[in-house]
Amino acid sequence: MPPVIDYTKCTGCGTCDSLCPADAIYMEESQEGDRPYLKYPEECWHCGSCRQDCPEGAIEIRFPPDMLCI
Amino acid sequence: MELQDLSTDVLIVGGGLAGANAAMGAAEKGARVIASDKGKIERSGDIGGGVDHFLAYLNDNEQWDTQDAFLQYVEKIGLGTGHLSILESVYCAELKDSIERMARIGNPLTQPDGTFYRTRSMGQPGTYWINFNGKKLKPCLGQAVRKLGCTVLDKVMMLDLLTHEGAVWGGLGFHIRTGDFYVIRAKATIIATGNTNRLYENPRINPFNTWLCPFDTGDGQVMAFKAGAALTNMEYMRMTLLPKGFAAPGFNALVGMGGRFLNSLGEYYMEKRHPMGNRAPRYDVVYHTLEELRSGRGPVYIDCRHLTEKDLAHLMDSLGYDKDTLPDYLEQRGEKLRERPVEIMVSEGMQAGPTEVTGSGVKIDRDSATSVPGLYACGDAADHNRCVHGAVTGGYRAGKSAAAYGLSMRHFPGTSRPGLREEIEHFMLPLHRPAGYPYRQIEDAIRKIMAEHVGALRTEGGIRRGLEKLSNLERHLDEIKANDLHELMRAHETRSLLQVGKMMGNAALFRTESRNKPYHHRLDYPETDHERWCGLVVLEKKGDGISCSFEPIKARGKG
Repeated sequence: MPPVIDYTKCTGCGTCDSLCPADAIYMEESQEGDRPYLKYPEECWHCGSCRQDCPEGAIEIRFPPDMLCI
Repeated sequence: MELQDLSTDVLIVGGGLAGANAAMGAAEKGARVIASDKGKIERSGDIGGGVDHFLAYLNDNEQWDTQDAFLQYVEKIGLGTGHLSILESVYCAELKDSIERMARIGNPLTQPDGTFYRTRSMGQPGTYWINFNGKKLKPCLGQAVRKLGCTVLDKVMMLDLLTHEGAVWGGLGFHIRTGDFYVIRAKATIIATGNTNRLYENPRINPFNTWLCPFDTGDGQVMAFKAGAALTNMEYMRMTLLPKGFAAPGFNALVGMGGRFLNSLGEYYMEKRHPMGNRAPRYDVVYHTLEELRSGRGPVYIDCRHLTEKDLAHLMDSLGYDKDTLPDYLEQRGEKLRERPVEIMVSEGMQAGPTEVTGSGVKIDRDSATSVPGLYACGDAADHNRCVHGAVTGGYRAGKSAAAYGLSMRHFPGTSRPGLREEIEHFMLPLHRPAGYPYRQIEDAIRKIMAEHVGALRTEGGIRRGLEKLSNLERHLDEIKANDLHELMRAHETRSLLQVGKMMGNAALFRTESRNKPYHHRLDYPETDHERWCGLVVLEKKGDGISCSFEPIKARGKG
């Protein structure tokens, strides 16, 4: 799960959804309004664009165990 | 889903670094431009998240820092893989303006104090790499392209080119979120889709964990080929060295700063194996690393412990320029450059240029034109552009040439496409199948076949068997089921991958020598034969098949 979204900071602006080159991030409805989620985690290229451009600094990159341990 | 009918002077397929520069080149010449990309041009392509290097000579008093010395370097590391006359036109002639353009759009190649930070690796005679912070390069370019009035079609995947009497007049594609279908009539079209990066079995398990952008799947090369364009250098399977576990670029920076390759016996093997040591050409470093691993002397490492505090500090600062998340990765893995060597590995194979200065893909001439009227190519999708510097210079050149061609045409070569409706329905078929295979299942098989039969060690028998397997697999392409538009995009990428695989196999079979080993290493023809094979293998469509021919390249000073 590379990009991890902090929903306490996320405002649901959709920047990450629009720019993800993997088309991996989509918006979903929640009680607090639309918010992004990682629909295709395996397809993330870890380019970091979502984190760089998130206006709220709500995205953290967490590498999965297969990448960290092989 | 709606049908969008658009027309323009110049259509650009792929909005990465090359495509964005092509859009600028065409628009600044006064052409109307439509630029399409599967992603959003501010963050798409190989350098979407950032980049830290640009290869250039600067005519800065040193003998190696000139065009002539640069071309000598090209010939030394890439003899037989590119025409110097084309490089002079698509790279050298554009270089000065390109460096100025990057500054003009807001992401200069200089350090904050205005100087160039230059390093040397990969067989260079001097410090040809400009090290810079390119994290905002794509956002700046995207902004510049939009400011010039170009129509940008983000999240649109182009599927095919429109052709009429041998000329290209635009293309067809669909929006990966809305499903709207686009028919774009264009007087000139530019292919800028990068190289092919999801084609070989991935040694880090996940096929999307690639060195270069995994969403570059050779779509443009396949479209161009189908439209009649020639391709070259498709036999070269490029590889590099990467941190174990994460296919992040960073090799240039580490070696450029003085990193040393180490095996598990504690030997600095490149220093024993090659006169240029750690700074040998990339293919030589990969070749010798493979040899170390095959001999059981792995794992292999890059050792940076000896670097000065100042160099290490620069390295730590700049590692994240090329791959934004690499510092996070090293930290989460517990790596400390100053305390212990970092384990590295050989990357997956890819369809890409055999050197940093010669490419692989659609054959271009001095004007970046392909062999088909109305069709141009640039960046990693073209055979005489390569890397960041090739995309910036060659992209702009292709844009200017396509604009000149487009603006000189009074009418579109074609006006209607018979059977368009049926064709659109055909492209959408994977969505409507009641059942079928996921694209990944077919793609995994392609990657396995390519790695086992058209990989780093090749033989005629092996390649033939691989081509046979690809043909068998091809029959199942029409059984892929897509559950949504995202999967429809991937399903079409799978089709492209298989076609690129076939092209690579055919070219690898045709070239009965080895060149730039291990990128084309024939065990049955292990020597490099400059007498017979100094030149390009040219692929063209012949009926439903692929024909190969040879185009010699003369060494400098030999007529």
